[in-house]
Amino acid sequence: MFQEASRTSTALESIKHPDLSKFLVIAAILFIIGVAGVLTRRNLLVIFMSIELILNAANLNFIAFSRYLQDTGRGDVMSGQIFTVFIIVVAAAEAAIGLGIVIALYRNRETIWVDEIDLMKW
Amino acid sequence: MILSGWESVFFWIFSIAAILAGLLTVMARNAVHSALFLISSLVSVAALFILLGAEFIAGVQILVYVGGVMVLFLFVIMLVNVGAEEEGRAPIFNRPAQVTAALVFLALLAGILVIYAIPKGYQALQKRDESAMQQTSAKRAAEQANMPAAATGVSRLSSQTQTVGTALYTAGALPFEIASILLLVAIIGSVMLARTLKQEVAADDVDPEVLNEMKQS
Repeated sequence: MFQEASRTSTALESIKHPDLSKFLVIAAILFIIGVAGVLTRRNLLVIFMSIELILNAANLNFIAFSRYLQDTGRGDVMSGQIFTVFIIVVAAAEAAIGLGIVIALYRNRETIWVDEIDLMKW
Repeated sequence: MILSGWESVFFWIFSIAAILAGLLTVMARNAVHSALFLISSLVSVAALFILLGAEFIAGVQILVYVGGVMVLFLFVIMLVNVGAEEEGRAPIFNRPAQVTAALVFLALLAGILVIYAIPKGYQALQKRDESAMQQTSAKRAAEQANMPAAATGVSRLSSQTQTVGTALYTAGALPFEIASILLLVAIIGSVMLARTLKQEVAADDVDPEVLNEMKQS
């Protein structure tokens, strides 16, 4: 009985005071949503958007751990944010190349549905 | 890193907004709606970055992602016609059996991560860092107490942006230059990819066989 009460109070406490693990949970859920989009959608553009969602979940993890390292004073506290800058750069490059491929593909095949693009399947 | 008061209220608002917008990104029938939901998800995550004290990254996220990448996406959506999907003539998801298998697998992954892996790992991390955490929070409290009573919010702001800039141009100088080359390659590559056949002919960059076929047809 007493244990039950203390458990609910810790649950309420963790909702009132979100910590590192809450950020990790949010990032994990965003990542899963992105992977679901990549695996299930037929539209190539929406698949690219889901990839952006995945990269963004990784960014959230990096920033959360950077803040955690700042609070504990362990390790190189800025490397998480530096990594995030580079992830954003790579995501921008990836989007530019990917959209170039989409345009070239649409010009040649008149479709961007991934299950109709099977030229390289055997 | 324990948020409290209004910070935690904003944390829940923005994290729920990010997740809902992410879900709608994946589930929207119209690709333009997908892009707009993705923008709102990215802005919510930028707000979470500000809660974590990374103001510079939040600004970069909004400028680069929302201002640059998503505008590019919207342009391409308008160039590429996906009418059948929008009008409901074609299903937006792929074959049902494979989709079900993927979703079951992902639900398992999410369950393990959220219920078991992250809480367990965080408990271990907390046990390891308990004393260091208390030391830094005590130091921070002392600094706050030393501030004059008239100190405004501006003087309490962190100097994160300066620290990020210093680290980026000292420890991260070589990766920074490599990133610039990567962006240059991406620009040239996407221009090469998106040329039309006419433009390729004008640049004298077509295989002779292809050119012959084109002339015959």
